[in-house]
Amino acid sequence: MLTYIFFLSSGLFLGWSLGANDASNIFGTAVGTKMLRFSFAAAIASLFIVLGSVISGQNTADTLNALGGVNTLPAGFAVSLSSALAVLLMLKSGISVSISQAIVGGIVGWNVYTGHQTDMETLVHICASWFFCPVIAAVIAVTIYCAVKKILHHSKLHILWQDWIVRVGMILTTALGGYALGANNMANVVGVFIDSCQFTSFQIGNLYTISGVQVLFLLGGIAACIGVFTYSQRAIKNVGKNLLSFSPMVAWIVILSQSIVLIMFSSVKLEQLLQALNLPSLPAVPVSSTQAVIGAIVGIGVAKGGKGIKWGLVLKLMSGWVASPLIAFLLSYISLSFMENVFRQTVDLTIK
Amino acid sequence: MFNVKVSLFARTRELEHSIDKLHDKIIEMTMVFKNAIDIYLQERRSENYRETSKKIKMIEHDSDVLRREIESRLYEQNLIPDMRGNILQLVENLDRVINLFDEVAHKFYIEQPDIPEIYHGELKTLVKQVADCAENMAIASRAFFRDLVTLRDYSKKVYLLEHQSDKTSAKLRKAVFDSDLELARKIQINTFVEEVADVADLAEDCIDALLIFAIKREI
Repeated sequence: MLTYIFFLSSGLFLGWSLGANDASNIFGTAVGTKMLRFSFAAAIASLFIVLGSVISGQNTADTLNALGGVNTLPAGFAVSLSSALAVLLMLKSGISVSISQAIVGGIVGWNVYTGHQTDMETLVHICASWFFCPVIAAVIAVTIYCAVKKILHHSKLHILWQDWIVRVGMILTTALGGYALGANNMANVVGVFIDSCQFTSFQIGNLYTISGVQVLFLLGGIAACIGVFTYSQRAIKNVGKNLLSFSPMVAWIVILSQSIVLIMFSSVKLEQLLQALNLPSLPAVPVSSTQAVIGAIVGIGVAKGGKGIKWGLVLKLMSGWVASPLIAFLLSYISLSFMENVFRQTVDLTIK
Repeated sequence: MFNVKVSLFARTRELEHSIDKLHDKIIEMTMVFKNAIDIYLQERRSENYRETSKKIKMIEHDSDVLRREIESRLYEQNLIPDMRGNILQLVENLDRVINLFDEVAHKFYIEQPDIPEIYHGELKTLVKQVADCAENMAIASRAFFRDLVTLRDYSKKVYLLEHQSDKTSAKLRKAVFDSDLELARKIQINTFVEEVADVADLAEDCIDALLIFAIKREI
């Protein structure tokens, strides 16, 4: 078990990175505009990240497993560590990046190193979701923005009550966003350890049974909470303030759009419903909350005439989206080689 | 928890009322000021004028209380963090307009300028323009909190009235200096005309700032 916990530590490190980096997308704008206090927003987000991870976190894990079934603990350790380091490198250079992209880079690195064929259909699905995620976020954000503008114009609501509504909305959206992040992104953190999971299920009273895999997701959620409290304030400064100067109302629209997009890409039920209605469905794929937030901000910026957007910063962030999977891929390949040849650990159980 | 929320709602409602009351005070002030100058021109420092002056002092005092209340509540309740500084500036500006009305009315009471009847008509026109200007500023300022389109409409009116008051005051001062009055009286009347016209200038400055705040407030 101790060996298992040791190897799991890289996953927990990645969980910490998720909290440090992506959680700022949930409430960064709310804290940046001083509508919510950091400690309050962080507490709500943390609670719901844990709930989202434990209750719905496994939906998106299947897609990652289809991409590459990392089947040994040391390999999971190497892949996770590489992805976490890629995210950390990007964070250090002031670019908010996606753990979803880093982990995909890491898994593809494992596929290449171990000679497994990468399922191109799944990879295309995932890459397409990276494109659609900010686009859908932008569309949702612009729709809500136009609707809110119209409602405000007709209701003539006093600025003080608008402030109240935005605050309450931000609290609710922080909770929704936290849940969505846990549900959509926690597979990135612990997904590679599911096949080698050694936890057993246990009961909370007589009400709810937590399976072994859910314990794994719970640990990932707790690691993310630590990341939220210890490091996310730095990332908030970037996303919340630099990209576009906006009002608290717009900030709320941004986090709401981001949460909706994350929920859309993690709900199996929604996928089934869309398929039943013969509509194009959205697969349960881990997408990037950073991309969703930036898509929403840019969408609103364009709807406002595009003057306030700092395109240089948008390009810098987008370059991080390309760089992070590539860095994770390289680090994964190198660390797997070290794991196998220097530490003499098995990185693939498949008999060729 | 429920009680805390209810009390927060009640306090927000009170603040909303205080802001509304401050605007009401400006509108009330413009009407009383117009009336005060009319009385002065007819009766000079009569008992009637003394009473109207008292009313003006009262409005000024009430608006000071409201200003302090609004300022402290905004900070105590941590409301509208992004706009709080702007709203404080706005409230200060509104208070300055009220103070200037009070100062001018009081100056009439203290100095008792002797204004020849031929200038009464023009002075009344100026006072009406200035009072209307301040009244429209108050309406625009109230709209800032609820409806930005209305704010723009009334801002236009303020600019127009300020321009008209400038013209009227220039015409009046020219007429005074072209007359055969003693230089001391000319200077005294000129000072009064300038001070009345200053109210419109201050209202215009207030609107300038308000329009900048409105850009920030637009979502």
